[in-house]
Amino acid sequence: MPLLTATNLSYQYPQNGRGIAPIDLTIESGEALLISGPSGCGKSTLVRCLTGFIPHLYHGEMDGMVTLGDLSTAATPLWQLSEKAGLLFQNPAAQMLTETVEDEILFGLENLGLERSVMRARLEETLRQFDLVELRDRNPHTLSGGEQQKLALAAVMARQPKLLVLDEPFSMLDTTAAASLLADLKRLVAAGTAVIIAEHRAEYLHALPGLRTLTLGNGHLSPPDELPHLPAAAAAPAELIVEGLRVVRNGRTILHNLNFQADSGEIVAIVGPNGVGKTTLLRALSGLQDYDGRIHINGDTPDLGLVFQNPDLQLFNASVRAEILYRLPQPDMTRYHWLMDALGLTDYEDTPPLLLSEGEKKRLALATVLMRQPRHGLLLDEPSLGQDAAHKQMLMRLLRRVANARQLVIITTHDIALAAQADRMILLGAHGFVADGPPAAILADPIPWQRLGLLLPDWVVG
Amino acid sequence: MLKLARFPRSQIIARSPLRQVDPRVRLAISLGASLAVMLPLQRLLLFLAFYVMLLLWARLTRPALQQIWRLKWVLLILFIIDWFVVSLDLAIIVTLRVLLLTGSFAFLVHTTTPGELRLVLEWLCVPHRYAFSLSLAFQSVTLLTEEWRAIQEAQRARGAWQPPRWAGWRGLPAQLREMLALTVPAIVLTTRRAWALTESAHARGFDAPHRRSFRQLMMAWTDWLLLAFVACVIVFVVFYF
Repeated sequence: MPLLTATNLSYQYPQNGRGIAPIDLTIESGEALLISGPSGCGKSTLVRCLTGFIPHLYHGEMDGMVTLGDLSTAATPLWQLSEKAGLLFQNPAAQMLTETVEDEILFGLENLGLERSVMRARLEETLRQFDLVELRDRNPHTLSGGEQQKLALAAVMARQPKLLVLDEPFSMLDTTAAASLLADLKRLVAAGTAVIIAEHRAEYLHALPGLRTLTLGNGHLSPPDELPHLPAAAAAPAELIVEGLRVVRNGRTILHNLNFQADSGEIVAIVGPNGVGKTTLLRALSGLQDYDGRIHINGDTPDLGLVFQNPDLQLFNASVRAEILYRLPQPDMTRYHWLMDALGLTDYEDTPPLLLSEGEKKRLALATVLMRQPRHGLLLDEPSLGQDAAHKQMLMRLLRRVANARQLVIITTHDIALAAQADRMILLGAHGFVADGPPAAILADPIPWQRLGLLLPDWVVG
Repeated sequence: MLKLARFPRSQIIARSPLRQVDPRVRLAISLGASLAVMLPLQRLLLFLAFYVMLLLWARLTRPALQQIWRLKWVLLILFIIDWFVVSLDLAIIVTLRVLLLTGSFAFLVHTTTPGELRLVLEWLCVPHRYAFSLSLAFQSVTLLTEEWRAIQEAQRARGAWQPPRWAGWRGLPAQLREMLALTVPAIVLTTRRAWALTESAHARGFDAPHRRSFRQLMMAWTDWLLLAFVACVIVFVVFYF
């Protein structure tokens, strides 16, 4: 009997009618399946259907049938389904339920109703398997993103489910953490666990033996292939100068004496391990973070718009249009329409921002900042998070247009493929910059990457 | 029976000798202090003296004072209003009562982890799903503060919000409207976090009827001793002073 069978499965959310078209699917022990497709095509929805979260936690119109072993997901309580199928979500920090690494693993074991001695044995075994012994007393919220993802996986796998389902597990990880997660997945597949992964960053997953791919259809707008020039007068050339930048937060030095300069018209990608201070650097450049040292553009205080990693921090209006035009007394409507078109938002003008997909919200947050027309340029924190390949290309084209209007563009990212398209790549380590130069040259030299403890993806090394 | 009641040190928020005390004793002390607000002035003062000594021993004076400092304006306004509207005696006793309540809250918060709170609630026969939800809410308080700051920064970055400055009564409606830029994302983020936690808990078998807790509460003789001492103090203050 297959481990999981989905027959003629379809679902529609009640709020916006989005969902998934009918799908048939089976998976056996030890198989690996990649669910791919563009942003908003229903990957996360399918993952929730397969594990019983739909229809138990989400209301909507579900047709067809999913069986886990001999259990129908619709007719079996979630706690019972979770013994057969473990589900890991995109954001590891949002999954932490307790105050220590040990307790995080114990939470799932307690729900299995095991004897205490068995729980203790499983706890120790899991800590060892996932290299978490040293971290056992740490608060999960103080771990790095990679460590948190490892812990989230360990907490699910301690329950020994036969099927593991992961929803975009690589999206927030640096290359080293991603390689570590991949190694864990390979080990689990070799041990007979079936693995289903919904993921944009499929480049990591081709190393999984026997990987099958299910591509979901694109029911959504594709970004335009060509963009007209940004409707704005080109600004005067400007030079950003950072001298002796040092940031101390809660008694910990996060940025150590950084010095660099960047010219308008340039796209600069800053890459580094999780927790190294990339976001803090952007906050300092945007004036949101107190710092020691000096940051100026042609002697002036910089006016750089910052697009945050999490768009939910910024969106609050009743429609996309109201969001973009908020507090603009005389908005430049030519620029507005250009942005709507360039960011693939034209069809959502009257839609409440909260009903957009994560990728669309991220593009909307970028539009709100670009509409404000910051004088010197743009700072973007992990802009490719939640974006499919086509929208990443669209994003780079848009950033190129912004740079061509003599604006400075600085992005921080874990996405090496995106960073490789910048004009300049800077590697940031715990004690300062490790390398700075054209992406091709930085990617060709393995030494600075080794110093940072970051692995280059196979497509670069190959 | 397994002796698993002691939590790892890193979990304990305050470096206090009370970290080794059973959380039920800490809850009892905290509740006792909260009930003492009903005492008349002289007895309240005596109880406060004992309570300050306990805070000193437990190395909790600093967090208690910080908590009180945060409430300084409320305490001041309360004192002035009671003094002018009723009497100085009432102003003193009401202010002392609020101080004691604040101190007992700080006492509990700075010595009890959410996990301990959950165990105590379960011991009090609160069903696991409610005890777990309450302890999770308790744990999320610090995250809320961080999120509120992040929202302020994000809205400043896009020019949608500025730290408020007094612009007269006429400016008040506009400032209240501006607060929407903070409150809507705060509600959205809190709801999303709560939902993500719900999903995460269900992914690991939350609500299973056969759940068995790994950690157990166990009273040591020192816990009984401390409990007896606190009970004696309360009996002395209430009945013999």
